[in-house]
Amino acid sequence: MTGEAKLIVQGLSHHYPDEYTGESVHALDNIDLKIYENEFVAIVGPSGCGKTTFLNIIAGLLPYREGRAMVDGVDIKGPGPDRGVVFQEHAILPWRTVSRNIGHGLELRRTPKAETQRRVQEYVDLVGLSGFEDRYPHELSGGMKQRVAVARTLCADPVIMLMDEPFAAVDAQTRITLQDELNRVVMATEKTILFITHSVEEAAFLGDRCIVFSRRPGRIKSEIKIDIPRAERQWKDMVNNSKFTDARDEILGLVRSEVTSNDDG
Amino acid sequence: MTTADPAPVRRKTLRKRLTDSRAVQLIILTIGVFILWGIISAVIERPDRYLPSPLTTLISSADLLEKGVLISFYSDTLTRLVIGSIVGLLMGIPFGLILGLNRTIADMFYPLMNFFQSVSGIAIFPIIVIWFGNSSTTVMIVILYTSFFPIAFNVLSGVRSVPMRYISAARTMGASRFQIIRDVLLPGAMPSVAIGSRLSIGFAWRAVIAGEMLAGQAGLGNMIFAGQELDNTAQIILGMALIGFTWILLDHFLLRPLESDTIERWGLVTR
Ligand SMILES: Nc1ncnc2c1ncn2[C@@H]1O[C@H](COP(=O)(O)OP(=O)(O)OP(=O)(O)O)[C@@H](O)[C@H]1O
Ligand SMILES: [Mg+2]
Repeated sequence: MTGEAKLIVQGLSHHYPDEYTGESVHALDNIDLKIYENEFVAIVGPSGCGKTTFLNIIAGLLPYREGRAMVDGVDIKGPGPDRGVVFQEHAILPWRTVSRNIGHGLELRRTPKAETQRRVQEYVDLVGLSGFEDRYPHELSGGMKQRVAVARTLCADPVIMLMDEPFAAVDAQTRITLQDELNRVVMATEKTILFITHSVEEAAFLGDRCIVFSRRPGRIKSEIKIDIPRAERQWKDMVNNSKFTDARDEILGLVRSEVTSNDDG
Repeated sequence: MTTADPAPVRRKTLRKRLTDSRAVQLIILTIGVFILWGIISAVIERPDRYLPSPLTTLISSADLLEKGVLISFYSDTLTRLVIGSIVGLLMGIPFGLILGLNRTIADMFYPLMNFFQSVSGIAIFPIIVIWFGNSSTTVMIVILYTSFFPIAFNVLSGVRSVPMRYISAARTMGASRFQIIRDVLLPGAMPSVAIGSRLSIGFAWRAVIAGEMLAGQAGLGNMIFAGQELDNTAQIILGMALIGFTWILLDHFLLRPLESDTIERWGLVTR
């Protein structure tokens, strides 16, 4: 990867205090990670290994004390529009229409109306929601809601986009469509993305790099490069792409060994 | 992307179409009640004392209407309701919001609110009469007091129940505290504001009637009370009917549409 690192994480650890027992939960251990411009980094790991914790720290939603995390060279001190988040559960606002949800970030920054409208339309079209601009979220399917969430984040033009299992709540068929679409969108927008998932297939399909977390406390166990141009990443071709299947099997092996070592621990 | 096909339109028989309509159902129900009322009134002894027939009641209303008493009583009561519940809502909504937004203040006030919530409007009546006499002010204070708590509690819990992920999402888009309140917490609390308003106005409506009875202030409550003293049962029934019908109209044409216009459209309340 060329270019500058957009996200730099150095020696990041995290302990959750436990109010009842007084003991703390060690969630993250000494994470070092750099994400470069226009890079797609996927993180997989067993349940409860600290993936969401990691993303929340980067998002600025969770204060941290051990280690450093920087975006564009600036220490993360709280949430900000330079980091856009797509949450696992639908976090689009039920009382805003599709277009008002997508334009919310720009509205918060007091972007001129005409400019906001133009940008909103651009992203509505990009994620394939044309014709649904004035619908409310409850009138949309689960997949469409996540398209709105993705468009909302893109429209605010963050330096890095953080996605926490964004497709976990949709059915398998929709999920495949959304993954194909995300690829197309990433190609079109050249975004830098940190993507968290349970699914090894998803990580191998989407990531330029895949980071495997160990079980809790989350450490970086290994890192696999998946050197497939984005234009070639479509499900209809990928199933026969040996680079993809090799990477997937390798990641699967790494994740499996984590889960089995978890059994007796 | 495809949307679900609309349900196939089926031809309805005339009979089905008629009984389907809510208005028709209501008319049938009303006629039924009147017929039953008429029959009971016809078979009992001394109906003018125990249950005057619909016709007698109607004649008595015409009499009251002619004297101008009915209109004047009715408008007195409605005015009290409108002013009392509007002021109650205007005080209860901001109070609930402040409590919903600030846990420290909420924890401080909660026991006090819980205490007064249990002391009904009727229970505070004697002390208010001691302070303000048998006056219109006394009635207004009781209405205000009664309508304040349901709305305040509902708004408080409405703000609290806005899912954390909506707030987090707004924060990650760089929203300020003010913007979060404006764009997330206030609209998120809207269902509770609507539900609480309806509760409050319903409570206020009962409080007006009770208040007028106890404080002897001109109005529907007083009209019912006087009906008993004057041995005018028709007047009592008329008063009761007006109370019920007013509520149904208010609920149907103002409160429910208010709820559905905003909330059902957002899919926050599913019926
Ligand atoms: N607020 C909290 N307080 C205390 N412990 C917490 C808190 N949030 C998470 N944890 C603990 O920290 C660990 C990591 O949680 P986290 O949610 O980051 O895992 P995850 O990898 O995202 O899991 P999943 O894949 O199931 O979403 C878990 O053991 C969890 O129980
Ligand atoms: Mg998680």
